[in-house]
Amino acid sequence: MDPRTKLLILITITTFALGGAGGKRVEALVPVLCMMPFLLLITAKRFKTAVIGIFLFWVTTFLLGFANTHGMSGFLYYILLGSCGILGRFLPCIMMGRYLMESTTVSEFNAAMKRMHVSDNFIIPMSVMFRFFPTVIDEAESIGCAMKMRGISLTGKHASKIIEYRMVPLMTCCVNIGEELSAAALTRGLGGNVKRTNICKIGFRMQDYVAMALCLIPWILLIVDVVK
Amino acid sequence: MDGVITKKSNGKLGGKDLINIGIYAAIYCVIMTAISMLGFIPVLMPSLAVLCPLIGGITMMLFYTKVKKFGMITIITVLIGAFLWITGMGYWPFIFGIICGVVADLIAKGGNYASKKMTMLSHGIMNITIFGCFLPLYLDIDGYFASRTSYGSDYVNVLKTIFQPWTAPIILGCAFVFGVLGALLGMSFMKKHFEKAGIV
Repeated sequence: MDPRTKLLILITITTFALGGAGGKRVEALVPVLCMMPFLLLITAKRFKTAVIGIFLFWVTTFLLGFANTHGMSGFLYYILLGSCGILGRFLPCIMMGRYLMESTTVSEFNAAMKRMHVSDNFIIPMSVMFRFFPTVIDEAESIGCAMKMRGISLTGKHASKIIEYRMVPLMTCCVNIGEELSAAALTRGLGGNVKRTNICKIGFRMQDYVAMALCLIPWILLIVDVVK
Repeated sequence: MDGVITKKSNGKLGGKDLINIGIYAAIYCVIMTAISMLGFIPVLMPSLAVLCPLIGGITMMLFYTKVKKFGMITIITVLIGAFLWITGMGYWPFIFGIICGVVADLIAKGGNYASKKMTMLSHGIMNITIFGCFLPLYLDIDGYFASRTSYGSDYVNVLKTIFQPWTAPIILGCAFVFGVLGALLGMSFMKKHFEKAGIV
């Protein structure tokens, strides 16, 4: 699939399924949109992730429906709703984001953005962001572990120091890694004045058109709603 | 966008500037996501407008030291807005990001990207982007929650009592004031840690 279609799907899902834009009329489409990432994961041969995702999604939906129809109340109900509602809502988006990240290389992403005539000023920071997210999360986790050992965590003795003792090392090491990254990218000619070429072949195919048509329906409904 | 930025700046944004933007945007977004997890506890939801600018200020002040050309602040704010969009805050932060980014950039440019006061002010403006996340709550609170019944009626009721219409300017003001304070905090952190470590 084309990276552009994937982006469109991601934005559509987050806007309508997670952000809840569009109101009642779009609501019927939400389950369809929510199932899309799982389908895509299956086509990408990530059966395990897809099956776990579908299972979790249906369990949460079922539990919510069960709780609502039986009019449960109280603390247990709140916990159930909180965890299931949030999980069920975020799961499709997380899955879609994962699919996008895993199935798209940075070069493909760049090629797609170039095709959309996005300025270089936005493409480069965005691709660096893509590349850098896992690094930052990784570092943050390691620093969190190290600080836990010294009792600097939310439950530890020195909880008040948490901001300073976690932020400073995180910033320092991320900036250092960033310096190296930018040196590496400049060596490969990122900053040059020449137009960069790309060997990735991207283009719309049958499945892209189908997915795009599906994504456009809620947007059209939203626009009709706003115009009214 | 490209033409405007290149013409107005004294020099074109180089590869290194753009990579820096990407790196700091990534750090900022990770921190912001970590803080946003608090938003699941309804009472703490408005505190996002306080915590994000305050803690994010540390990252941003470090970023501001690298800014020398027009356009960098605009791009990072738009990117953050876009990130908020795809993580489910609706499209308002993105729109806010474009406007606030340009304004913040112009202010920082007014101080030649070196004046402390201008930097503080600019950071405050930039953080108004976060207010964009709360905007749907004020515009159409019933419509917003009609689509979020899955969060549970308790959650919705608590949020409804918190987000009365009159709190809108307060949250907006909070985002701004704590943006300025965050800038101050970031500057003191820079003096205390980063200058010593030699990464400024």
